[in-house]
Amino acid sequence: MSPEDRAAGAVAAHREASPGAPEDVSASSQTRTVERRDRALTIACVVAFLALLALLPLWTPTNRILTLAVTACISGIAVYGLDLLYGQIGILSLAHAALQGIGAYTAAIALRDLDVSFWLALPLSAAVAAVVAALLGYPAARVRGHHFVILTFAFGEFIRIALNNGGEFTGGAEGVLVLAGIPPVLGWNPSGVAGLSSGADYYYLAFGLLVVAIIASRLVIGSPFGRTCRAIRENEELARASGIDATRYKVLLFMVSGLFAGVAGVLYAYFLGHISPNEFGVLASVQLVLMLLIGGSRVLFGPLLGVALVIFLPEIIRADPVSVQIVYGAGLIAVILLVPAGLAPGLLALWRRSRGWRTES
Amino acid sequence: MVDVLQQVVNGVAIASVIALVAIGITVIFGLTGIVNFAHGEFLVVGGFLTWWLALQGVPYAAAVVVCALAVGALGVGLERGLWRFTLKAPINGFIISLGLSIVLQHAVIKIWNPSATPVSIQSPVSGEIRLGDLVISNVRIMVIVLTAAVLGATFWAVERTRHGRALRAIAEDRDTAALMGIPVRRYITAVFGIGSLLAGLGGALLLALFPISPFSGQSFVIKGFAVALIGGLGNITGAVIAALMLGLAEAFSAGYLAPQWTGAYAFILMIAILLFRPQGILRGTEGSRVT
Repeated sequence: MSPEDRAAGAVAAHREASPGAPEDVSASSQTRTVERRDRALTIACVVAFLALLALLPLWTPTNRILTLAVTACISGIAVYGLDLLYGQIGILSLAHAALQGIGAYTAAIALRDLDVSFWLALPLSAAVAAVVAALLGYPAARVRGHHFVILTFAFGEFIRIALNNGGEFTGGAEGVLVLAGIPPVLGWNPSGVAGLSSGADYYYLAFGLLVVAIIASRLVIGSPFGRTCRAIRENEELARASGIDATRYKVLLFMVSGLFAGVAGVLYAYFLGHISPNEFGVLASVQLVLMLLIGGSRVLFGPLLGVALVIFLPEIIRADPVSVQIVYGAGLIAVILLVPAGLAPGLLALWRRSRGWRTES
Repeated sequence: MVDVLQQVVNGVAIASVIALVAIGITVIFGLTGIVNFAHGEFLVVGGFLTWWLALQGVPYAAAVVVCALAVGALGVGLERGLWRFTLKAPINGFIISLGLSIVLQHAVIKIWNPSATPVSIQSPVSGEIRLGDLVISNVRIMVIVLTAAVLGATFWAVERTRHGRALRAIAEDRDTAALMGIPVRRYITAVFGIGSLLAGLGGALLLALFPISPFSGQSFVIKGFAVALIGGLGNITGAVIAALMLGLAEAFSAGYLAPQWTGAYAFILMIAILLFRPQGILRGTEGSRVT
């Protein structure tokens, strides 16, 4: 057990001693039962939902629905990364679309200049996005909480401006074309040049990577690293006093969530076949935050629900794009005022109450 | 030399608008800990309201007054209806401001500007002043003088009146101020009102200088936060000084260096300040912590 693990344990113990803390875990058996039921319920929900998504192409949906579904998977990967950051260490980033853009541009430029294929671009772009996240995270995490979100906001804009002014290298405002298929793997050919010409295969690719992202995020949460991050979230002062280098953990976790954004970026670039700087501006970042917070952070099902709602809402209400944006904004405000934790935790509480389960331990 | 002076005038004119936005941002943060990303939209709403009034034939001076008051009232209404419920958890106030900025931005498009293109009005004040080779248009002088007057009044109110003293007390320690009998909530509402009024005024003045688009709010809210951070969050004097720095930097860059990078200076200044002097050039309040 490293000193930092011990320190995290001390903070966790402190949290347990203070009643009413968000993750107050008392030893009563009733709490455990509730917890176990919760976990089973959540896992059942996610499995059912994922199964539903996996079967989606069998219903021979229209191209438009399939396009939206792929978009949802891509955004989902980025949002699960954002969820790690916000849910585990409690900082919000408005630069995630920009990091996604870094991933997309890395893949596109590597393809154009070095002929790097999709499967190689995946780890490469993730790594580059993580490095850029570190470059931003270090100055941002050195200062106090509220500065972080403001800095990421400015940083997102800065990346957009830089991509616009990159000349030949980034293609300026025109952007870069990504006109290559995805090389077959083990006899499976998920070619996806400019849309879904090859049917549902690209969807399965994006969907598979989304599942990988969800599993990866749970692994991070379950690790000692995730535990230390939660300790910092609960009480940064105490964590620091216990010898945890909070700044380092913030930067590391920001890098990890950058990996997710980078992967999402590669998928995005290959899916659309063309990328340009303005797709990765602050509005896109706000959109990701919106998905996370409407769905609810810290709950396995939350990001998935938020992404699905935000992406498919225009299909459901069938209004013009401007009105849809107004509905998104108003929806976010309503969720924050009525169920501040997000819809998924809200639904969970509702379900529990309807079954007569105790909601408070 | 004349060229340099010309850029100084341009810079101060831009700085005026930035300062008008930044004051609201910095004071609201100092008092409530809320990072208000919707503040730039108040500027846009103000600009478009002025534009619409001008189209209806209302004289510019009247339009400015009406629009500043209307945007101020909007700020009061939003505080009463939304932010009031988030005073205990400023992070939620920040998230609400994200939603609100989307709503306001697209409401402006929906109401006034379906094509989402920049709009402009005829310059409300014509003519120019010549000092030797130096040519200063009267519009710029109007913007600078008006802003200086409004800022002067704000300073006086904050530093010399009992209301100003009450505000400073709340910024220092909200609970103790409440115990001393200061009606904290009323002051918070008032600050939202005045902050958005100043931003609305900024929008009206900006429209006199440049075309304004429904998306102008975003770049101004970044500049506003950059300036508020550089000056020290919660510190009005610092915000004004920092606004002048940023305005001049942008004007000189547009005139001499690389105009396409102008938008990035706010960010670079911000990083530099936060790395070397996180509390800003003048001391700001720590504020409630927002994560």
